[in-house]
Amino acid sequence: MNKKILVVDDEEVIRKFLKIHLVKLGYEVTEAADGEQAIEQLGIDDFDLLICDIMMPKKDGWEVIKEAKSNPKTKNLPVIVLTAKNEDSDMFKGYDCGANYYITKPFTKAQLLYGLKLMFGGA
Amino acid sequence: MEKDRDRKKVILLLRWTAIIVTSYLILFGRGKVTDLHLSHILIAVYMLSNVLLTFLPKTWFSNSKFFYPVVIFDTCIVSFGMYLSEKMTTDFYLVFFLIIIFASISRNFKLLMVIGGITALLYGILLHSWGLLITENGSSYTLRIPFIFIMTAFYGYIVQTLTKEKHQELTISEDKYRGLFENANEGIIILRNPQGQIADVNREVERTSGYTKEELLQNEFLDLFAPEEIEKTRDYLKEVAERGGARADYLSLKKKDGTFMEVDLSIKRIDLGDESFYQVMIRDLTKQRKLEKKIVESKRNLEAIFDGIRDQLSLQAPNYDILRVNKAVIENYQKTYQELIGRKCYEVYYQRSVPCERCPVSVTIETKQPASSIMKLSEINGALQIFSYPILDEKGSLISVIEYVKDITEEQRLQEQLIQSEKLAGIGILASGITHEINNPLSGIIGMAEVALEEEDLSKNKDYLGDILNCAQRIGEIVKGLKSYSRAAKREDLSPVNLNEVLEESLKMVQLAIKKDTVEVIKNFQPIGKIKANTGEIQQVFINLITNAFQAMDGKGGKLVLSTRSLRDLIEVKVSDEGMGIPQKYLNQIFDPFFTTKKQGEGTGLGLNIVYRIITKHEGTITVESKENMGTTFTIQFPKRRGES
Repeated sequence: MNKKILVVDDEEVIRKFLKIHLVKLGYEVTEAADGEQAIEQLGIDDFDLLICDIMMPKKDGWEVIKEAKSNPKTKNLPVIVLTAKNEDSDMFKGYDCGANYYITKPFTKAQLLYGLKLMFGGA
Repeated sequence: MEKDRDRKKVILLLRWTAIIVTSYLILFGRGKVTDLHLSHILIAVYMLSNVLLTFLPKTWFSNSKFFYPVVIFDTCIVSFGMYLSEKMTTDFYLVFFLIIIFASISRNFKLLMVIGGITALLYGILLHSWGLLITENGSSYTLRIPFIFIMTAFYGYIVQTLTKEKHQELTISEDKYRGLFENANEGIIILRNPQGQIADVNREVERTSGYTKEELLQNEFLDLFAPEEIEKTRDYLKEVAERGGARADYLSLKKKDGTFMEVDLSIKRIDLGDESFYQVMIRDLTKQRKLEKKIVESKRNLEAIFDGIRDQLSLQAPNYDILRVNKAVIENYQKTYQELIGRKCYEVYYQRSVPCERCPVSVTIETKQPASSIMKLSEINGALQIFSYPILDEKGSLISVIEYVKDITEEQRLQEQLIQSEKLAGIGILASGITHEINNPLSGIIGMAEVALEEEDLSKNKDYLGDILNCAQRIGEIVKGLKSYSRAAKREDLSPVNLNEVLEESLKMVQLAIKKDTVEVIKNFQPIGKIKANTGEIQQVFINLITNAFQAMDGKGGKLVLSTRSLRDLIEVKVSDEGMGIPQKYLNQIFDPFFTTKKQGEGTGLGLNIVYRIITKHEGTITVESKENMGTTFTIQFPKRRGES
């Protein structure tokens, strides 16, 4: 059974290429365009990884992560933060919220692969 | 009045008596009356004259101008009557004129009457000795005796009356003089002689000198002066004795308490017959001296201030002639004071033949109001701020104009630097926001490029390249927006600017940096035309205000209203938010430099100060209204200038 990943980003093109990469790698990908959609999807389905942008309309990434971590169902869901906020303070905030890995935009496929490797142990 | 009536009565009575006696003499005189008609006419005229006098107003009888003709008339009539009465009348004439002489030199009426009696008696004895009294015509000779007595009384009374009057007039004029003398504001000393013997002093002398009149009368005039000035004063007195008058300035008069007071003397010789008096007018200069000292002092103070001011001060007449300059002007133009005074300001200061355009001095000359303007000096890349203030007289007419020239080159340079550095700080703050905005499409580009590289189905690449292009274009847009902000605007770079466009652009840029979906932006732009402004600086103003507005609504959200409108001679821009508001106590500080309520590191405290400086530089105004928890509105007004619409 393929691992399921929820990709959350308000930027369509980012979701698009992430999906292409991830599908090629054999993951099953669900997209969400903002924080609210992400929470909704987390409720509907079970995921193995959350890749989440921070600055988004309606609900930002911090809130999505907090909600996920406070929900028993998704409390152990690994999270990769994908953000344009690249200051140290932002990174620490991300880890405080429970993020497992932090990728700053712009990024390459290699960074993504490294993140996935960390999360899934070289899958 | 009473006296006048008495006098008229007495004179009329005396004349009637004289007329009767004279008529008797004429009619009963011894010898042949040459012409009886003439005698009658003479008597009639004489009587008629007295009847006429009866009808004249009594006040005339106090008037010597009326009196003298009457006396002359009477003397002529009587003399002619005497001639008609007797051919051989030499002795009679002699006696008659003798009594007239007696009467005119006499000062005592009673004594005169005694003399008149004695004369009449002596003449009677003489007539008797000649045996004339006992002849058949003796009665006419006898009549001569009372005639003489009566005429003495008549002339004597008249002379007496006139003398009395003169005396009275003298008394009156002396009283007047005494009043003037005593009440004069200036001290007056009357000297008996040029040696300085004091005859009289007035109260002012007593008051100022401290001596009493009695003490002064025992003193010599010269003793009143300081020892070293006695000789000088003596010379003045000598001069007065020779020439009739002299003036002496700044003498020291010794007062009773030993102190001295400065006085001016004006001495005049007054001749009264054989006698001469010397009237010394003394003017106390103490007050004047004090006043003069004060004036000199304040003048010196003003001069010191004038010269002490390091900016250039120049006083100009309404015709632009330089009246006065301070040291700063002399140093600046490397000319002497004399080279500047009296020349036209525009000639010496600016090498022009006509007054400078937009010169505040011209404005002040025209309007009598203070004015100011900034003059750019392109050759040294500097600027002068020129202020002019009118000096008006009490009627409000312009006497002169003060031109105050301040070199603001350094100030302007610092201000430019401050604006630039604040702009750089602004770029820093914006950059972190914009990073996100650029990083997103950049991530898209990188991501899609990698996808395309790996893609073996080249037909799909077209789609990927389209995405890449799209992302690249978005980055291009953002960079374009930034460019207009970071453009280092030069000081002189004023161009026609549409504020609506700048406002729109600024909003976009702030929105790039701060994404707030809770803020509803309402744009209420009216056509406002263009104003001459520095685009970069105006943009900075708007970015600062819009950023503040967004930050004020952080968390709670609200409406951001941007509005522009065109008033009669103003263009107005309003930036209004529904944020937390500014506490009342800070409202008058918000434009101060380094005033901030933000945490350290978050704000420089210069944002609104820069806004204020930029607006002021554009001759605009900015005002703020704010209510805590309700919101804040900044209102900016720029003046419309001629030729701008």
